[in-house]
Amino acid sequence: MTTLPLAIRLRRALLIALILGLWAPFKIAWEQNLAKQQDALRYNGIVMTRRLRDDLGQGLTIGVLSGMRNIVADLIWLQVTTAWEDQEWFRMGGLINLCTSLQPRAPVFWDLGGWQLAWNASVAASHDPKQPDELRRLKAGRFWVDKGLDVYLRGLENNPQYWRLWSDTAMLYQQRLKDYHKAAYYYQQASERPNAPAYLERFPAIMYGLAGDDQAAYDSWKALWERLTPAQREMKEHWKEKIESNIRQLEQKLSIPKEKRVFPN
Amino acid sequence: MISSLQRIIVIGRNTLTEAVRQKVLNVLLIFAVVLVSCSVFISQLATPGLDPAGLFDEQIKFVKDFGCGAIGFFGFFIALLSTALLIPQELHNRTIYTILAKPVRRSEFLLGKFFGIILLLALCISLMSLAFVVTLYVQEQVGLGVVDSTYERMGDWKNNPHIVAMHDHDAAIIISQVRDPQLVEAVVLLFAKIVMTAAIALLISTFATSWIFTVITTFMIYLIAHAEGLARTFWLSQGAESTIWQSALVGLISMLIPDMNSFTIVDEILAGNHIPWSHALNLLAYANIYVIVLLAVSIVIFDYREI
Amino acid sequence: MGAITKIRTMESSAVTAPTLAVETIGLTKRYPLTWKRKVLVALDSLNLQVKQGEVFGLLGPNGSGKSTTLKLLLGLIVASEGEARVFGLPPDSLDARRRVGFLPENPYFYAFLNGDETLRFYGKLCGVTGAKLDKRIEELIDLVGLQNGRERPLRSYSKGMLQRIGLAQALIHDPDLLFLDEPTAGVDPLGSAQIRDLILRLKKMGKTVIFSSHLLEQVQEVADRVAIFSLGKKVLEGSLESLLTENQSTQVLIPAEMNAEQQDRLRQFIARDGVDAQAIRFTRPHLSLEQLYLRTVQAQPDAAKDSPKP
Repeated sequence: MTTLPLAIRLRRALLIALILGLWAPFKIAWEQNLAKQQDALRYNGIVMTRRLRDDLGQGLTIGVLSGMRNIVADLIWLQVTTAWEDQEWFRMGGLINLCTSLQPRAPVFWDLGGWQLAWNASVAASHDPKQPDELRRLKAGRFWVDKGLDVYLRGLENNPQYWRLWSDTAMLYQQRLKDYHKAAYYYQQASERPNAPAYLERFPAIMYGLAGDDQAAYDSWKALWERLTPAQREMKEHWKEKIESNIRQLEQKLSIPKEKRVFPN
Repeated sequence: MISSLQRIIVIGRNTLTEAVRQKVLNVLLIFAVVLVSCSVFISQLATPGLDPAGLFDEQIKFVKDFGCGAIGFFGFFIALLSTALLIPQELHNRTIYTILAKPVRRSEFLLGKFFGIILLLALCISLMSLAFVVTLYVQEQVGLGVVDSTYERMGDWKNNPHIVAMHDHDAAIIISQVRDPQLVEAVVLLFAKIVMTAAIALLISTFATSWIFTVITTFMIYLIAHAEGLARTFWLSQGAESTIWQSALVGLISMLIPDMNSFTIVDEILAGNHIPWSHALNLLAYANIYVIVLLAVSIVIFDYREI
Repeated sequence: MGAITKIRTMESSAVTAPTLAVETIGLTKRYPLTWKRKVLVALDSLNLQVKQGEVFGLLGPNGSGKSTTLKLLLGLIVASEGEARVFGLPPDSLDARRRVGFLPENPYFYAFLNGDETLRFYGKLCGVTGAKLDKRIEELIDLVGLQNGRERPLRSYSKGMLQRIGLAQALIHDPDLLFLDEPTAGVDPLGSAQIRDLILRLKKMGKTVIFSSHLLEQVQEVADRVAIFSLGKKVLEGSLESLLTENQSTQVLIPAEMNAEQQDRLRQFIARDGVDAQAIRFTRPHLSLEQLYLRTVQAQPDAAKDSPKP
């Protein structure tokens, strides 16, 4: 419905085409660059495991919703509690999977999700009144512990800097799976992460102690003592008295020669 | 040049005054502020039976997600509606005649109106962010209270320095999550996203015949823009099986529609992951240039629009 | 000798030919009506010249092309054909619009601004700033008589007040050319008279005024020249003097009552010079209703300057 002379209309269309035409290649290149940066930031440079890629298969649906990805994940997460109350473990597992797929870099989903499975589901299953066979109950309990552990481990792939995931994995090995060496490893990793609480640094040695591996425990205590600076040793949270007493005890037990002892006296 | 800028600023400030003196906007804003504050209550639907520190990771995430979600949501609608009505109102009331009879270029008029929208959006985002900060602070205090009361149950814990250390660590986690300076980055990115939305709406409105058309079209472009990344990767790596029409459509989307999905990096910030400012600035620069391109096209269209 | 005469002629022609405020050559505007498959010719090949310092009236029924002409001269719309020049410049150029003021037929202003803010806004757009703007605003508020309305938003203004603020914003940058679209429509007679006086005052200041109006008597009071439009064409143009003067007769005003006998005697006297005695008519001079109204209203001690909206 325009009344403009053709010359003006043509010039206008040409100008628009020029602006957009010049912008298009820059735009695409820039977007590719941004996407590459974001992939690195989101997935921490880790190669996408096949499992992750499968979970994200519903690409288009998530793409459309991705404007509010985190809120969708939160709303789904609210149902995890309901599923637990209804004791529908498999549904709960599926929901946890979905949340972690939507936001793999939200550590809280892996952490609480793993906890729900390895602890709540597992304990409930091993005490399931509907299952008369004790062996089967124990087997079911173990099934959920494994599922929870799997969630923790996948969570660690995506969030290797989150201390609590390492710590909770360690706790699972310690308390449910009774694998103290693994627990020690995971506690050690946890203690090295940013913002980790100081008490975790003592746990590996304690785990070795629980495992009965005195030599490993001694090595661990000694390494910790040597790692702390004199200033740090005086700080309350590093609890130097505890470290010292353990080292002394183990040096005695292992009959370490006096010249090699940390505390010769 | 300077007088041109002055005219743009004058029109911009007038546009802001108009929006602020309109009651409708104030109602919307109050609603938004209330909703941001309500995110506290949604967070109460959290997982029971956990130790407090773990619990609060979850609750704080909820408050951040819903708070920023509300800001993004309302910001989007305020941007969309106020921009869609910008030109139609001037045409309908014919106030544009009086202005263009003055020594004002059409481009200055358009840029001035858009500048007013930017000011308006900045104001709205600031107010909503303030509500968000207050909500977070409330959540922080609640969290710290829960941590304190949990340790209280252990009896005389304050004399045991190791327990004190644990308590302080738990409290520090909550505080660091709430007082995350990265949240500023998140809000700035949200602002950039809604300014881009406004620029798209402005472009559509320069040739649209009704504001409803502008709203619907911009909304659809907004949705498609979230899938643009997928379209682009598909187009750039297409196999032989795509038809010429598929290829053309996907190509067109890749070349014209912005990648709004890149703004969902805000999710990562809200989840507590560090996104360096270098990336945020990269994204902001992209949004900036894109808006300039959209404005340039808008000016070309509007320069010869019949009024 | 011949050379000197030539120079003198050029000088005098430079002095006597005033510059044109507005000039249009074949100015045409067409609107295609796509649903009727027709073309509406809003303005058909207008050739118009308005000299500086003139008061020019545009007359004609609605849809005759007056508004289209104004919009073309203001650079608001683009011509389909032909040319228009304002002070020798294209109408949509900034330099042209800097010298032009526009009073629209309806208040196309922002209703949420008050009088002061409105003038400040348009003033700044025209490049008038700071102390100069403040002074100008005071002057104009005084000139149009809006002292008691300046703090109120425009949406509370009466029609008369809106016309006043309209005039004020048209004059804010002291333009050389004013376009007034129906300046006295909907205004009470007192207000109209004031607007009329204002136009004459502007003319005395050397400004050019082009206005369109339906109110023929008012046009008659102020305009030097008029053009009459019909269906997009300029039908008639000329000075009022030449258009309206009936060249076929002479009017003589005798300030005394005459009876039939006296009238007859006078008739015979005039007829002696060859004038047809039967064609001579004696009538009572009429006041215009406006003159009577003004005379009556202004005689009242408290003539209200503007009546606030009920």
